[in-house]
Amino acid sequence: MSLVAMTAGLLLSYGLFAVQGLLFLIPRRLAPRTRRIFAGQIDQFEVGAIKSVLDLQGNEILIKRDAQELRAFNSTCPHLGCRVHWENDRKRFFCPCHNGAFDQNGVATEGPPAAAGQSLATLPLEVDSRSGVVYLEVKDSRKKLA
Amino acid sequence: MKSEPQTHWQPALMARIKSMLPIDWEIIRHMGAEPIPYHLKKWWFCLGGTILYLFIVQIATGIALTFYYVPTPQEAYASIVAITQEVRFGWYIRSLHKWSGNLMIVAVMLHMLRVFFTAAYRHPRQLNWCVGFLLLGTTMTFGFTGYSLVYEQLSFWGATVATNLAEAVPLIGPWIAFFLRGGPEVGENTLTRFFVLHIGVLPTVAFILVAIHIFLVRLHGVTELNFDGETVPEGKRHFQFWPDHATTEILIGVLLMYLLTILALVFPAGLGEPANVNETPLHIKPEWYFYFNFRLLKLTSLKLSVVLTMAIGAIAFFWPFIEEWFMRRWRVSDRLPVTLGVLAFLLFLMLTVWEAFA
Repeated sequence: MSLVAMTAGLLLSYGLFAVQGLLFLIPRRLAPRTRRIFAGQIDQFEVGAIKSVLDLQGNEILIKRDAQELRAFNSTCPHLGCRVHWENDRKRFFCPCHNGAFDQNGVATEGPPAAAGQSLATLPLEVDSRSGVVYLEVKDSRKKLA
Repeated sequence: MKSEPQTHWQPALMARIKSMLPIDWEIIRHMGAEPIPYHLKKWWFCLGGTILYLFIVQIATGIALTFYYVPTPQEAYASIVAITQEVRFGWYIRSLHKWSGNLMIVAVMLHMLRVFFTAAYRHPRQLNWCVGFLLLGTTMTFGFTGYSLVYEQLSFWGATVATNLAEAVPLIGPWIAFFLRGGPEVGENTLTRFFVLHIGVLPTVAFILVAIHIFLVRLHGVTELNFDGETVPEGKRHFQFWPDHATTEILIGVLLMYLLTILALVFPAGLGEPANVNETPLHIKPEWYFYFNFRLLKLTSLKLSVVLTMAIGAIAFFWPFIEEWFMRRWRVSDRLPVTLGVLAFLLFLMLTVWEAFA
């Protein structure tokens, strides 16, 4: 009986140390905070063209202006995380890693992302009607571990 | 002339040292006198020693490199440039580290092929095959994490793709990816984590696995092989590990150093463009030992390629037990495992060459 109790105690104690050590290594999953950043003046965005803006981590956000609206696309390919770029001649976003292509609305048309039915993620945008300032809502992960 | 009286301090000192280190030298002598089968006189049968030698070169050059390498996204690339261009013999140490790493992977693969095709993994040595397979995985992870530390365009995007691949592992994938990246995406924490894995965690794991591997070899002894038409002189069927085999290994080590130096001189470790998080290069490729995996990824879907790789890995890991079970149940010919091995290796070679020239 005492042997069982001792074994259980040892396992529990060392197990607890191990769990604490493991938890230390895994970064905390904090609720994503966002922050509005200045993306430009509305007249800086040409219709049909792409303007690139950097978020707070230095990642590229691609903002596209159509006749009706402005849309901000995350340039991270949903397939394996490579960076997509805009090909103006073919009017598409292209990922060079595995030849993934996305149409003007960010919907995959070719390559592995199309096979998996993936699209480019979009980010919220806001245009101040009085000043014409375009605000982009991006992730704010500064001064945090993860 | 009268000679000096003989002093007795030497035996006294030796006795004192021996009393402080009460080692039974007979046991040490016995451990070194391990009988080695005659066929191990041929180099390709004792590639394990070559791997160990290359691993020692990796440790020595790796420790030297850490004196100058700075593991932060802002400084990593610049510190590699400084090592290569400014530090005395920096290019040489870096090239030795790169080439000994590559040769180590080649040697591990050749060693495993030799063990497979001579059926040296069979009972009672199944566990040592499993340990060997874990060492192959550790060696490849060494290569992957080390390459990522260079923080050039190809290595950065290779790390990005690889951590996303890890995410596709069923059940635990997102957890592994989060752990490796140190957050939801590749960032500052990722480089630190890869550095710690490369210089701390993986060497510790490798040391433990190598110790178990050698311990198991000593427990079971080296597999005895007999060749058709080869006559071994009587009394020469075995030779001693120390000094015969150890001397051969040291001599091979010198040849390896020459080979590494030639490789470092002719193909010194290069440096691509610095990592740019906003521009994926048009043609990205991993290191050559992941070509088969990269080609598989192109041929199939993400999930399928990951599941296939895991399945192939699991079959290879448990192969001694799977084969034993097959043999017992269906009494298949001894040629079947050899045929399967040849096919598997050809498939690996084909996918690797295909990706290399794609």
